Amino acid sequence: MAKERKFARKINSLDSIFDFIKSFINENSIKGSLIFTINFIIEELFTNMVKYSTESSEDILIRLDIDNDSLSTILIDTDVNSYDITETEEVDTTLSLEDRKVGGLGVHLVKTMADDIKYEYNSNKRQSTITVIKHLE
Amino acid sequence: MIDIKLNDDGVVELSGRLDASQTDNAREVLDKLDKTTVIDLSGLDYVASAGIGILLFTQKRLAENGEKIIFKNMNNHIKDVFKYAGLDQIFDID
Repeated sequence: MAKERKFARKINSLDSIFDFIKSFINENSIKGSLIFTINFIIEELFTNMVKYSTESSEDILIRLDIDNDSLSTILIDTDVNSYDITETEEVDTTLSLEDRKVGGLGVHLVKTMADDIKYEYNSNKRQSTITVIKHLE
Repeated sequence: MIDIKLNDDGVVELSGRLDASQTDNAREVLDKLDKTTVIDLSGLDYVASAGIGILLFTQKRLAENGEKIIFKNMNNHIKDVFKYAGLDQIFDID
């Protein structure tokens, strides 16, 4: 069963997004412990879109879908440049405190938590689609 | 929403959700810390990378004077995030 909704391109949309995710999890009897992971993945991807695609004023579409034993999280961002998060540089998590930079961990953590991530860009629509797959335990 | 307070005994209590919309509220307290401080996370349900960023920033600032953050009562979800980021080697997590 799929559920989707558009959210305004602003950080303050997060509370509404978390409510949307919680509602989906409850409606589909998904194990509650997955809420943390799904919240985290969507927050990181959504806030990246808000922070780095400032030229767009379009709302961001979030779709959640269950197919057999996996949960698909899809974010669609329109009127933006292409930015393939699957191609981002790896983060060195072994650096000392002195050598650590503040920030830049979000995508690394999403990649770690996800079972699969796909990125597509439609240049005619200037639309990015990120699909994150998480297997249900 | 995040709730953060600095108790009279010097312990910081951080509870609620430390997402990207709440980092300014957390910084108001964390920026005041100037010595080794216990942060009690027993009421913290969730943290995102933006929240981790301000905790890391605070740890780096305190380390310049040989001080640090000590986390207590961190839940397993947040422990996993710190581990995935290699931050379990940088912070004291009781």
